[in-house]
Amino acid sequence: MVLQDLGRRINAAVSDLTRSQNLDEKAFDGMIKEICAALLEADVNVKLVGTLRKSIKATVNFKDLPPAVNKKRLIQKAVFDELVKLVDPHAEPFKPKKGKANVIMFVGLQGSGKTTTCTKLARHYQTRGFKSCLVCADTFRAGAFDQLKQNATKAKIPYFGSLTSTDPAQVASEGVAKFKKERFEIIIVDTSGRHRQEKDLFDEMTQIQRAITPDQTIMVLDATIGQQAEAQSKAFKDTADYGAIIITKTDGHASGGGAISAVAATHTPIVFIGTGEHMLDLERFSPQPFVSKLLGMGDMQGLVEH
Amino acid sequence: ISGLFRNVVGGNVLTKEDLVKPIRAIEEHLLNKNVAREAAVRLCEGVERELIGVKTASFESVETTIRSAMESSLRRILTPTTSLDILRSISSVTSPSQLNPLSPQPRPYVISIVGVNGVGKSTNLSKLAFFLLQNRFNLLIAACDTFRSGAVEQLRVHARNLKELAEREKLGKVELYEKGYGKDAANIAKDAVAYAAQQHFDVVLIDTAGRRHNDTRLMSNLEKFGNFANPDKILMVGEALVGSDSVGQARSFNAAFGSKRRLDGFIISKCDTVGDMVGTLVSMVHATGIPVVFLGVGQHYGDLRTLNVSWAVDMLMT
Ligand SMILES: Nc1nc2c(ncn2[C@@H]2O[C@H](COP(=O)(O)OP(=O)(O)OP(=O)(O)O)[C@@H](O)[C@H]2O)c(=O)[nH]1
Ligand SMILES: Nc1nc2c(ncn2[C@@H]2O[C@H](COP(=O)(O)OP(=O)(O)OP(=O)(O)O)[C@@H](O)[C@H]2O)c(=O)[nH]1
Ligand SMILES: [Mg+2]
Ligand SMILES: [Mg+2]
Repeated sequence: MVLQDLGRRINAAVSDLTRSQNLDEKAFDGMIKEICAALLEADVNVKLVGTLRKSIKATVNFKDLPPAVNKKRLIQKAVFDELVKLVDPHAEPFKPKKGKANVIMFVGLQGSGKTTTCTKLARHYQTRGFKSCLVCADTFRAGAFDQLKQNATKAKIPYFGSLTSTDPAQVASEGVAKFKKERFEIIIVDTSGRHRQEKDLFDEMTQIQRAITPDQTIMVLDATIGQQAEAQSKAFKDTADYGAIIITKTDGHASGGGAISAVAATHTPIVFIGTGEHMLDLERFSPQPFVSKLLGMGDMQGLVEH
Repeated sequence: ISGLFRNVVGGNVLTKEDLVKPIRAIEEHLLNKNVAREAAVRLCEGVERELIGVKTASFESVETTIRSAMESSLRRILTPTTSLDILRSISSVTSPSQLNPLSPQPRPYVISIVGVNGVGKSTNLSKLAFFLLQNRFNLLIAACDTFRSGAVEQLRVHARNLKELAEREKLGKVELYEKGYGKDAANIAKDAVAYAAQQHFDVVLIDTAGRRHNDTRLMSNLEKFGNFANPDKILMVGEALVGSDSVGQARSFNAAFGSKRRLDGFIISKCDTVGDMVGTLVSMVHATGIPVVFLGVGQHYGDLRTLNVSWAVDMLMT
């Protein structure tokens, strides 16, 4: 599961330190080093780890701590705050409204899990009483429409797409117009995978976005992504200005630190995580409970709210 | 990292202390290139061991010495120790020497593609198909991903496109073997190989479903699959975008085919999406000692390359 090993290691480093007899500066530096090693192994952006190291050091300011202060509590809180900062951009995610058309467009790198997650999300809203549907605006990948069609059929969700068109903006706007007319409330538009190095693909994304003016654009990120996460997620942000992130494949072994670095790089909240290949494998995400659980610090929530 | 540590220059015997800071700098450099930490740390340890007690050449800084030591260890790790000439090994199976009476009967050469979800297995299988068609081989593509929606149709589209291309350019012939969804992949693979032998295809390319490497049930299916399909080559697709997980992916897939069978090579896909951050190459080879056979550099049929070690080392060192 995402960040589980990381949480265990960070937690161990903090409690090793706070339990130790002589809590001196050398031990404190050792703890920070161990935490940074754990973060780097989890694919957290290298620069970000550097910032985090400095930030914990500055907050705790070990040298000038008066002897009376509760060091344990201070250090725990500093680590916790930095980790929350990593996953919590303090931005409110979009909430769809009933009784109107909410158009949601999916974007992301090749193979990240967009098509699979589209259906999961449509189904999620469907079971919460929204009239939901899917539009396939991937006219590039072989079998893309068949994939969406088969998923949608299994989930009993209406869909639209074309086997012959080569213009994704055209297909997208036709689909959205049709479903708006039929008074659908959640219209999810799937698009092809793309990456920042290919300008044509990014231009195409802009064209689709202009054609359908979505209420929400969602970036789908694979939990296994490494150090490219920051550059790619920033480029997608600059071009498509997405307002939410979904991290997929969190049932894998990867720690997800790369995908999480994208949150810090783009100040965009994670709203859901994908936990498997099946339709129901989707979970809501919120940062603070996540980090508390991660660090096994039930009591930290209280600390933060003070 | 250049220009940082010019303090020790020329004709000095290097101590551990001299090396601490520049080694840390080069480790961070590798991490930035998306080399998994485990591999980066081990590479650095190797370079450190190699250099302690060594006398630097005159006018050469510690940093330059470390760089060239790192460059050669990267070159060493990425340079395959066995021949990767896939065309030659196919020919030796499909048309064994006529002169030697002990030569085996000709039979189809079998290649299976495995890997985690969404890394580019089916697409790179199609690129490989294109490459083999250009070399005038006749191919059977076996659709053994019987799970993911659209997987069979995806290959059907590729087979159709490739067939048109091949007919237009007078290349080899290509056909799809599929049995729809829900059936056992190992059985379909076995039947496909038998069919290919009967119909005198040169090569069978077997696509498989993506599976995460910590899914013990799906991973354990691979052993049966290997036994049934009995592939000449098992190629694993690893994705250049992937971070540290590449190490675990490579190890788990390498161990999945039973004690007698290992992977034969990697295809590192999506190299066009990472710029010079090509560290995954190093991580996967480091984890297993299995060589990189191809790189995927785009979404079109021509976007498959063999690994140029100097190019990769340059990317990693800049
Ligand atoms: N284990 C696991 N697999 C997933 C998850 N989400 C998606 N997948 C798998 O990842 C692979 C790629 O998913 P797709 O939905 O096709 O990805 P995509 O982003 O639409 O791909 P392109 O359209 O080619 O860019 C498929 O094999 C999915 O079954 C998840 O949460 N967990
Ligand atoms: N940019 C780029 N994209 C690639 C490359 N190879 C594959 N892709 C894309 O990656 C996405 C996933 O490719 P697939 O071949 O469907 O991946 P897969 O491993 O078969 O996926 P599953 O069968 O769902 O596990 C598609 O959008 C491909 O076009 C590559 O070398 N470069
Ligand atoms: Mg898709
Ligand atoms: Mg596939």
